[in-house]
Amino acid sequence: MKKNKTMIVCFLAPAVFTFVAVFLYPVLRTLIMSFFQVESVTASTSEWTFYGFNNYITMFNSSSWQTSMLNMLKIWLVGGAVVLALSLLFAVILTSGIRFKNFFRAAIYLPNVISAVALATMWIYYIFSKKYGLLNTVLDGLGLDKVNWLGSNMKFWSMLIAFMFGAVGYYMLIFLSGIERIPKDIYEAATIDGAGKLQQFTHITMPLLKSVFKTNITFWSVNTITFFVWSKMFSPVDTEATTIAPVVYLYDIVFGTKGVVHRDAGQGAAVGVTLCLCVVIIYFVFNKLIKDEDIEY
Amino acid sequence: MAKAKAKKYREPFNLKKEIKLLPGYLVLLIWIVFTVVMVGWILAASLSTSKEISQGAVLQFQSGFHFENYALAWGSYNVSKFFMNSLLYAIVSCVLIIAISAPAAYVLSRFKFICNRLIKTGFVVAMSVPAIMIIMPIFALTSTYQISGRGLLIFLYICINVPFTTTYLLGFFSTLSKAYEEAAAIDGCSPMKTFWKIMFPLVQPALITVTIFNFLAVWNEFFMALIFASSEDLTPVGVGLMQLVQAMQTTGNYGGLFAGVVIVFLPTFLLYIFLSDKIIAGVTGGGVKG
Repeated sequence: MKKNKTMIVCFLAPAVFTFVAVFLYPVLRTLIMSFFQVESVTASTSEWTFYGFNNYITMFNSSSWQTSMLNMLKIWLVGGAVVLALSLLFAVILTSGIRFKNFFRAAIYLPNVISAVALATMWIYYIFSKKYGLLNTVLDGLGLDKVNWLGSNMKFWSMLIAFMFGAVGYYMLIFLSGIERIPKDIYEAATIDGAGKLQQFTHITMPLLKSVFKTNITFWSVNTITFFVWSKMFSPVDTEATTIAPVVYLYDIVFGTKGVVHRDAGQGAAVGVTLCLCVVIIYFVFNKLIKDEDIEY
Repeated sequence: MAKAKAKKYREPFNLKKEIKLLPGYLVLLIWIVFTVVMVGWILAASLSTSKEISQGAVLQFQSGFHFENYALAWGSYNVSKFFMNSLLYAIVSCVLIIAISAPAAYVLSRFKFICNRLIKTGFVVAMSVPAIMIIMPIFALTSTYQISGRGLLIFLYICINVPFTTTYLLGFFSTLSKAYEEAAAIDGCSPMKTFWKIMFPLVQPALITVTIFNFLAVWNEFFMALIFASSEDLTPVGVGLMQLVQAMQTTGNYGGLFAGVVIVFLPTFLLYIFLSDKIIAGVTGGGVKG
């Protein structure tokens, strides 16, 4: 037993150290910092002055923050609906007895393993390109007017489309494994009873995928709340109102960008805490909304 | 077994059934043709001149294949530097993540002690903590003590991937029979030696899967690199490519830009072509339970 004790300590110590150093301590310090007035991130704790909820008040009153939250909400709602619908559709098609299932599945998941920066570059400099881009070439071929996809009124939606394209594969895989866990004999029984494919989908597949939906919604929420790379790639030099996301707002006020002179690390911490709270709230709301039923097959 | 069965099932070609599935095929094909066109065009553009690209004459290769785009991107645009940095970060951190996580996962799955549940829960919670909650204090600490350089980035990449790796490996260690340890103990093997000599090799498939995920995560990481890679010498591919894109807006060398894009995505793309089954099984079987 003595031997085991030293082993437990030796084997666990490094992992626990990484946890304390990079998660526990930083999260607590960020939480505390959000209640203090701190200008520079590098300021030592002795330079902090207590500020109460003022950081949060400044944040909620900032127009950039409001725009960024609105953008995030649009991404979450519109993007979420489209991504989940598409990924569910793909999962259903793939389980309908189609040939080359493994190939299709692998090809749809592919964007998830490619660097988001590379993927965004492909979209911006090829698909959305005004002069020689794929979309405008197709529109031109159909005799339609070319669209300025990266103009300020289209930019947000272009960014969202590109982001969604990369995301679908992941959610599809989770839906897929959910559908594959549903026993085939339920469908066979339904077919014998005369239920059509659509009825089977709405009465068998959908209800049995409830907990998978919950997983996917939670992941999608975390994904949108931490939205950063795509926004940065679509407005690389200046932060623009059309593409700003909360994390970009945080990055700008903490580390600065062109046009933002004033640094406010305390408010940055408040942004971080608020976003974390969003994750927690969404998690609990959907846990309450979609109850796990213990289904035994 | 399952594979053989699926193959057998696929053999008879039933026209009526296939026609019924036609809309499904069409939807998937549109999506995949789009992906193929996109990747294919990027490959073609990386071998064309900027003039050909802007004229929309990419697939004709009128002036031949311009491999010098790659030479230019690799050399003058510093992509080689970014590439080597990323390779170094990914390989070193992948090895050390396993060295830290595997023993921890083993101990957590095998022994009962106080804090066992607490540590497990801590790791699960850590997996969903957004990076924005942790960067500011780390930035403050590292700049006060003037810690920077490759070591810092590797340290961070290790730390942020330990919780997921430990949680993933936990499940695999708990499926192993206790008989291995008992037999080893009878033969006089110490518990620590038993772990490294017997238990560690037994979970090799899981180690490989989780290492692929860690490699992809580190290779594609962007946010931490943007903040902590303080000079060009430390920059990994993600941030490096973004700088390349920004520079390209003034130089206008699109051929070089697309060559850079190809160099950045090729390693993970090739990895995926050879290991897609393992990666897909890992996504659905490992961390995620519906």
